[in-house]
Amino acid sequence: MNFTLPEDLREMQAAVRGFMLEVVEARAREIEDTNRVPPELLRGAAELGLFGLSIPEEYGGVGLGALGRCAVYEALGQGHMGFGGVISAHASIGTSGLVRLGTEEQKRRFLPRMASGECIAGFAITEPSSGSDAANIRTRAERRGDVYVLNGTKHYISNAPVAGLLTVIAVTDPARGTRGMSAFLVEPGRTPGVTIGKIDEKMGQKGSLSAEVIFEDAEVPAANLLGPEHLGYREALGILTNGRVGIAARATGAMQRLLDLSVAHAKTREQFGQPIAEFQAVQFMLAEMEVAIQTSRLLWQKVAWMVDEGQDVRRMASVAKLYATEMLSQVADKAVQVAGGMGYMKDSPVERYYRDQRLLRIYEGTSEIQKLIIARDLLA
Amino acid sequence: MKILTLVRQVPDAEARVKISGGQVDLEGATLVMDGMDEYGVEEALRLREGGAAVEEIVALATGPKRVEDALRTALAMGVDRAIHVETDQALDPIALSRVVAQVAQAEGVSLILVGGQEADWDSQALGAATAERLGWPQLTWTNELALEGDTLTGRHDVDDGNESFRVPLPAVVTTQQGLNEPRYPTLPNIMKAKKKELRKDTLDAYGAAPTVRVVGSDIQTRARLNKMIDGKDPQAAAAELLDLLRNEAKVIA
Ligand SMILES: Cc1cc2nc3c(=O)[nH]c(=O)nc-3n(C[C@H](O)[C@H](O)[C@H](O)COP(=O)(O)OP(=O)(O)OC[C@H]3O[C@@H](n4cnc5c(N)ncnc54)[C@H](O)[C@@H]3O)c2cc1C
Repeated sequence: MNFTLPEDLREMQAAVRGFMLEVVEARAREIEDTNRVPPELLRGAAELGLFGLSIPEEYGGVGLGALGRCAVYEALGQGHMGFGGVISAHASIGTSGLVRLGTEEQKRRFLPRMASGECIAGFAITEPSSGSDAANIRTRAERRGDVYVLNGTKHYISNAPVAGLLTVIAVTDPARGTRGMSAFLVEPGRTPGVTIGKIDEKMGQKGSLSAEVIFEDAEVPAANLLGPEHLGYREALGILTNGRVGIAARATGAMQRLLDLSVAHAKTREQFGQPIAEFQAVQFMLAEMEVAIQTSRLLWQKVAWMVDEGQDVRRMASVAKLYATEMLSQVADKAVQVAGGMGYMKDSPVERYYRDQRLLRIYEGTSEIQKLIIARDLLA
Repeated sequence: MKILTLVRQVPDAEARVKISGGQVDLEGATLVMDGMDEYGVEEALRLREGGAAVEEIVALATGPKRVEDALRTALAMGVDRAIHVETDQALDPIALSRVVAQVAQAEGVSLILVGGQEADWDSQALGAATAERLGWPQLTWTNELALEGDTLTGRHDVDDGNESFRVPLPAVVTTQQGLNEPRYPTLPNIMKAKKKELRKDTLDAYGAAPTVRVVGSDIQTRARLNKMIDGKDPQAAAAELLDLLRNEAKVIA
């Protein structure tokens, strides 16, 4: 057993943390006010290699395994979560289907441009009438000659307003039920019949844009079918399973940042003639945060290791995602408490984290859905 | 030509250091490449990128195994290969200069870049001591550097101002803040650095025993008097403050 991350991964974490805390954080208020990530920051992220995290080296990416990717996600979590959201929707769910299921030709066509940040990616399964019940999606894809014709509506799709490529899940054969789903590589700007709706107005994670994606007789070349036709629900959702560990790692990074901010504040803020860190009530909150961080970190590291070992992580990825994101909400709440009134003010990163973190318990499977997955696996 | 750039590993500026057994204990502290050495690594890379005929850039470090991390950072920034003289003995700058000078000669380098001042112990002696051993010119506190053929030009700070210089190689150059803005290693370059050579060497070959022995260390504590002046009457408060500064703190006449 060895709990030390390899040196190169620690070095990557330091580089990403430095970028997030020095470069991105300096523009955080601007991102909040405009709901846009300045293009220079995206270029900076591209130079750093963030867009190519999960893309193999032969296609211009960094070629990291699950442990490496998650190590980077933890560092990413220590900075602006909206910015992190853009990267993770691209590098995690937006990329993993293509890397796993794509043909050589498909990979050559998209991955190099995705690794350089030129082509931002996303993943679309959720529909207005099927969120948690993702097996019930209605978007249809019908084969006609050498195209598939797509009809239907996806919503809350992260990166859709800026995406060059979306991995879209649609029903190719309703008669087969959940075995009748397929995945498609859709280029929104270049596919007539695909419309991106207006940008969602969200509580937090500003700068990470989501929207509806509407398909009206949209013709997608058959060459853009990803994986086999009638790939099935399980495979389609496999794309999300790997994403879940990444979310646990991001949540751990967010908790670490909140603890660092809380410790610094507790030591310097004085009330009743002493630093508030002297009060045991405050100390206990800090201690509880530390426990949440240590346990969440162990979990994501274990699950990432399992992925790299080729083990089935369906249950454990849900355990990690559920636990780390629930803990993050508690930690964010405590961080606001430790900060007092300042934690409620827009100028404080704590206020921002408090809003931003809430999403992690909802997307890529709500906490309740994670419990369902865990329980079903236990009872199977 | 070849460039040798020295890399030291020091506690991060925000790291909390402890004292145990009369020695500084770095256990648990975040360790990074000395910022002054980052300027050196960056400058070597810029000289090459600027078109100078730089054949190879070699990073050198001495110290315990963990120092490898700092060398990997240099490799990830773009240095070609690294040499690690592994030792648990702490070397003072004069002893260290022995290693630097010998490696420079063995490697046939003609430019040595070292930090102007150590971030941890504040010493500025390494550049001078190395230049002295080699009989090379030294340029300290450099703010600008260019290389044309075998001639080094640039500017550096001296006691009475800022001076332009021109020297033929070989030379020793010490860095300072403002020389450049060191790059972050990118993730792909960190991956590539794993495949670059990091050669291990032992200290015995260099006869570089430390000449300074640390007999004790203490953490400097800042004691505050917490004297409060009542500000209700500004005139009286100002008078009291002046009196305290003059007669108690004795910082004004
Ligand atoms: C900002 C944002 C970005 C998103 N990005 C993407 C994206 O990029 N791609 C994408 O495809 N989707 C994306 N989503 C969609 C997201 O995955 C869904 O919102 C999520 O899966 C929940 O679905 P829902 O919103 O329809 O809620 P519902 O499914 O309606 O859930 C409502 C509540 O009911 C509970 N519930 C539902 N079913 C059960 C059950 N069987 N047992 C117990 N409780 C249950 C839920 O846990 C929840 O508490 C995003 C969502 C948001 C908000």
